[in-house]
Amino acid sequence: MGAVPLETSVTNHPGRRTTSPTALAASLAALQPTRRAVLRSGLLVGLSGAAGCSIADDPATSSGTSAAATTVTVRIWDDTVQPGYEKSFSAFTQANPDISVAVELVPWASYWDRLPVDVAGGTLPDILWINSSNYDNYVEAGTFENISKALPDALAGFQQSVVQQFTRDGALWGVPQLSDAIALFVNTDLASAAGVDASDLVWNPAGTGDTLLPAAKALTTLGGARPQYGFNAAFDLQAIYYNFVGSNGGRWQADDASYVFGDDPKSVEAIQYVVDLINRHKVAPSAADTNANGDFSRDQFTQGNLALFQSGTYNLRNVADGLTAKWAVAPALTGPAGRVTVTNGIVAVANAKSPRREAALEVLRWLASPEGALFIGAEGAAFPAVTAAQQTYLDYWKQQGVDVSPFLDAAAGETIRAPFGRRAQIGGQAAQPFLREVIAGRLAVADGMRQAQDAANTAIAG
Amino acid sequence: MSSGRTSQRTARRTAGLLLLAPSLLGTTVFLLVPVAVALWLSLQRWDLVSPPTWAGLDNYAAIAADPAVRRSLVTTVLFTALVIPVQTALGLASALLLDRRLPGSAVFRVTFVVPWVSAPLVVGLVWRWVLDPSTGALNALTGVRVEWLTSPALALPAVAFVTVWTHVGYVALFYLAGLAAIPQELGDAARIDGAGAWRRFWSITLPLLRPTTSFVLVTGIIASFQVFDTVYAMTRGGPGGATQVIAYQIYAEAFTALRMGRAAALSVVLLVVMVALTVSLRWWFARRSTYEMVV
Repeated sequence: MGAVPLETSVTNHPGRRTTSPTALAASLAALQPTRRAVLRSGLLVGLSGAAGCSIADDPATSSGTSAAATTVTVRIWDDTVQPGYEKSFSAFTQANPDISVAVELVPWASYWDRLPVDVAGGTLPDILWINSSNYDNYVEAGTFENISKALPDALAGFQQSVVQQFTRDGALWGVPQLSDAIALFVNTDLASAAGVDASDLVWNPAGTGDTLLPAAKALTTLGGARPQYGFNAAFDLQAIYYNFVGSNGGRWQADDASYVFGDDPKSVEAIQYVVDLINRHKVAPSAADTNANGDFSRDQFTQGNLALFQSGTYNLRNVADGLTAKWAVAPALTGPAGRVTVTNGIVAVANAKSPRREAALEVLRWLASPEGALFIGAEGAAFPAVTAAQQTYLDYWKQQGVDVSPFLDAAAGETIRAPFGRRAQIGGQAAQPFLREVIAGRLAVADGMRQAQDAANTAIAG
Repeated sequence: MSSGRTSQRTARRTAGLLLLAPSLLGTTVFLLVPVAVALWLSLQRWDLVSPPTWAGLDNYAAIAADPAVRRSLVTTVLFTALVIPVQTALGLASALLLDRRLPGSAVFRVTFVVPWVSAPLVVGLVWRWVLDPSTGALNALTGVRVEWLTSPALALPAVAFVTVWTHVGYVALFYLAGLAAIPQELGDAARIDGAGAWRRFWSITLPLLRPTTSFVLVTGIIASFQVFDTVYAMTRGGPGGATQVIAYQIYAEAFTALRMGRAAALSVVLLVVMVALTVSLRWWFARRSTYEMVV
C-alpha cells in the first residue's frame, strides 16, 4: 500500500501496540529512515541517548511537531500541481503542528485502475482527487465523506460550474479544487510565418466559412526531416471530441447518462470532420502516433512541430515550460453551433473509512479556503476552483506575458456537459478501442461510432 | 509386535505429513484457496466498489454470449499457433548447434537463457521501444516506417515474435538435456551402418527426444494460453482488440470493466480448457513416446 507512513501507524493506534515500546523502538532504530518516526512518536525515552544529537538538525522535530503527529496522505495525479500543494501543506502544518500532510503522486495512466482496487482492498488514501467520470458510483457506495454534512461551514466561494458538476441530491462529496477550460494554443512564430490569423478560427463540416482547414493546410509541411503539423486532431475526448461535437450542436451523453453519440448525426458529422483532418487532409499527426501516445500532440507542440494545439488549462504550465517559440492563447474553435467547449472540474474527496477522519477533514477545510487554494494557482500550475484564489493564477500568467482570458471566457461561455453517470469511466473505456479505430481510419466513422456507443452502453449497464 | 508396527506406521505417516507440510501449505495458500475464491467469485456480481451480490450462473451465460470472449479465444489460439512451432523448432535447432561444443558455445548457452530469466514486462517494454512506429529504434535504423504495433495485421505477429525470442533459450535448455541423455553408441552404430546425418537425426535423435518434445510442447502451449505481461507491455490488447488474448480479456473484465464475477468466470473457463488441453496432450504423447529403441 505505501500510502500510510510508518509514523502514523505507530502513533495513531496506541491501543493496537502489541510490542513493548522499547522493543519497538529498538527495531525501529534498526531501520535508519524511521529514526524521525521514533523521535516523533514519543518512544524517545529509551533512545534519547543514542539519537540525541540528531534532534537539533531534524526539521520536523525542531519545528515543534508534537508527540501526537498524524500524517494525512493526499493523492493526486498532476505533477505540475504537486509543488504548489506541498507549499500549501507546509503552511497548513505550521498552523496545525499536529497534522502533517504527505502528497502521493499516482500517474494519470494508472490512477483510475488503482482507485477501485484500493477501495476494495481498504488501501485508499485519506484524501484524493476525483473527476466526474469516477464519482457517482463511489458516492452511491458511500466511499467518500459527505462534505456538505461534515464541513457545512467551509463550503462557500467555489466556482459554480464545478459545484454543479459534483452536486448530488443537494450535497457535495468533494471539495472543488481545479477547473479546466479549453482554448487554442497558437505557435505565433509559425502562424505569422505562414500568414495565418488564428485569433478566431471557425470550422464547418459543410465548408462554408471554414477558416480552420485553410489555416491548418497553410501551417502543415510534411515530407521534410521534421514534419510540421497544422492542428492536433486526435482521439482526445476533452480537448477535441467533446468540443467539436458540442460546437456542431451534437450530444455525447443523454440526460440519463446513456451514450447517444453514435445515433446523433451532428456528433457523427463532427467526428467525421476531425477524422478527415487527419486521414484526408493530413494536417494533423497520424492516428498511429496519437493513439499510441496520448501526449504526442502536446510534445509536438512544445517541440515547435505543431502550430495549433487545442487543449486545456492543464497544459498551460507544460507549454510555458517547453515551448521556446513565441506563443499565445486564442479562443477555442467556433463551430456551426457557436463556440461550445467542455469545462471539467476536479474535487478532493475524503475517504469515509479513513482512520484519520478528523485530521483529513481539517486538511480538506484548508483546501477549501482561499489561503489553502492560493498555492495551486500562484505559479500557474492549475486554475483553482476556489474563486478567491483565482486572481493569483491570472496575475501569475499576466506577469509571464500570457493572456489567459480565452480560458476564462470558455468557462463562462456555452459548454457541453463533461462525462457523468455511475460508470462513466467504464463506459468511456469500452468505447475507446472503437473510437481509436475510427481515428485510425480503419472503421468508417458512422459504423465505428455506433459500435463505440453500443459498447459504452453495454459497459455502463454492468 | 503388531502395535509396534502400527506405531511405526503412524510415526512414518506423521513424518511424511510433516515433510509434505511446507509444499502442501504453499499449494493450499497460493493455489487451492485462490481457485476456490475464483469459483465463488464467478457466481457473484462485484464491481470492487459496492459489496458483492449473488449472480448464480449469470456470469457464465454472459461470457458464453459475448462475442469479445469468442474473439479473444480465437486470438489466443492464433497466437499459440504462431508461437509454438517456431519456438520449438528454433529451440531444437539451437540445442543441436550448442550440443556440438563449438568454441564459445558456453557463452551462447548463457545468452540464450537471459531473455527467459528476464521479467516478461521488462522484455515487453524494451521491445516496445524497439518496435514503436514513430519513436522506435528499428524504424529509426531502417528509415522505413512500419506499423509494427499499431497495425492490426502486424501487432499479433510482433507480440508472438517477442514471445518466441523470450522462450527459445528455455526450450533449447531442455533439448540440450535431452540430447545429453541419448547414448553415444546408437549414433555410432548407425554411422557404421552407413546412416547419414539427416537419417540419424530423423530416426534416432528426434524419436528419442519425444519425452522432451512432449514436455516443451505442453508447457509451451500452457504458457501461450496464459500470455499476459508481454501483451500488456507492448499493445495493451490493441490496436482494435487485435492482441486481446484471453488472459488480457480477463484483466480487462476485472480492472477496466470492473466486472470481477465475469472475470472470475472467464478464469474458471480458462482453467477447464487448460486442464483438458494438458490431459489430452499428455495422453497423445504417452501413446507415441517410444523408448523401446533404448536397450
